[in-house]
Amino acid sequence: MRDSWSVQVRVIHALMIRELITRFGRENIGFLWIMAEPLLFAGLVGILWHFTHGATEHGIGIIAFVATGYIPITLFRHGVARSVAVFTANQSLLYHRQIKIVDFILARFIIEVLGGMMAYLFMAVVLIAFGEFPIPANIGLLIAGWFLYALFCFSLCLIIAPLSEVSEAMEKFIPVTTYIVLPFSGLFYMVAWLTPEAREFLLFSPFVNAMEMMRKGVWGDKVVAYYDVWNPIIASAVAILVGLILCRRVRRKLAIE
Amino acid sequence: MIICSGITKSYSHGGRRKQVLKGVNLAIDRGDRVGLLGRNGAGKSTLIKLIGGVEMPTSGKITRTMSVSWPLGFAGGFQGSLTGLDNARFIARIYKREYADIRLFVEDFTELGRQLNMPVKTYSSGMRARLAFALSLAIEFDCYLIDEIILVGDQNFQQKCHIEMFEKRQERSMIIASHSPEFIRGNCNKAIVLNNGVAKIYDDVNLAVDHYNHL
Repeated sequence: MRDSWSVQVRVIHALMIRELITRFGRENIGFLWIMAEPLLFAGLVGILWHFTHGATEHGIGIIAFVATGYIPITLFRHGVARSVAVFTANQSLLYHRQIKIVDFILARFIIEVLGGMMAYLFMAVVLIAFGEFPIPANIGLLIAGWFLYALFCFSLCLIIAPLSEVSEAMEKFIPVTTYIVLPFSGLFYMVAWLTPEAREFLLFSPFVNAMEMMRKGVWGDKVVAYYDVWNPIIASAVAILVGLILCRRVRRKLAIE
Repeated sequence: MIICSGITKSYSHGGRRKQVLKGVNLAIDRGDRVGLLGRNGAGKSTLIKLIGGVEMPTSGKITRTMSVSWPLGFAGGFQGSLTGLDNARFIARIYKREYADIRLFVEDFTELGRQLNMPVKTYSSGMRARLAFALSLAIEFDCYLIDEIILVGDQNFQQKCHIEMFEKRQERSMIIASHSPEFIRGNCNKAIVLNNGVAKIYDDVNLAVDHYNHL
């Protein structure tokens, strides 16, 4: 048991290094590129909103608000994109018995999480320097929110990866889901700004709960947040269970060249 | 030991279903050198992939009590976009070996020189075979799974394989898929004939070859 744990740790480590080399190469800033996209995305949209919506919304800086929303959603979008057809793309590595298909998803997802965290940190430091971002009121809550958000994303990836192998139609359909999720991601609002009915409805979404935690962690007493820690935990546990079952079924039928 | 009990394997695609193996029972001991004979499409590669754990049987069970290599053939095992040495490093990591030792052996055995710094997708199939062989020899498995066509390299490679595989590692097991009765007579002490999805193992190699020739 302990032995197979250390094997899996080794495999995931090797897969992550391999992934970083193939994606970013060894030249120039290399793997630092991983935070380029979330930063650009959050930065440009933030500036756009700054000019269209004004400098603050409900009393908090709009650039910071947009950035805290976009970096997590980029994690979700990238996680999903990287999970589609991940088994077929890596099938030649399944020649090595100790590599399990869940390792592929995990290795890629960990890279995305690390990239997202680096982007978050970098953005916060730069914005704090410009006085556009508060010193986080409760770092623990921010980090807990981030990890719950990531956990739920990962649990969805565990379902999406095997589904994308089942049929071509499924593979084409999956990218659309990232758009459908957008309104339920907590990106554009704090639920306190909405009507009680809308709030109640949106708080079914694990994304919204985790996002409220993160923003409460950043702004503290300046915002009112509604969340239930158990919502993302339970939703993730259920999705992980379903995902692992699907992965197992798909692995049994996978034909490898 | 490798024990296959009641192995069936079928592939389905677009509503069609093809049963390749219909109940294979085999036991392979330590030190057995088994030739795997069968016509094209008889399921030799499928059986090797199942024994290697690359694919899963539809039903039945495979038990391995010795370390088994990945199937050595033209395909599989490598990441084409990575260089030969990066692949070696990856494999050293996942099999918990020292990269320095593996690298030394690979450089010596493959004689690929600077080509080892090029992506594997630029290699010829002969070069891939050299790399695959070198890596699996450096890791030292108890049992090697080999597709014979990859042994058909140039003279120098054939000779090296022969020395490393059949002279230095005589006590190891191996399963070799082959179409060549001469090769199997010369190098194996047992043979399996695969036909109609069923496997029959022979302790007498000549008998197996006769049976195969009359298929």
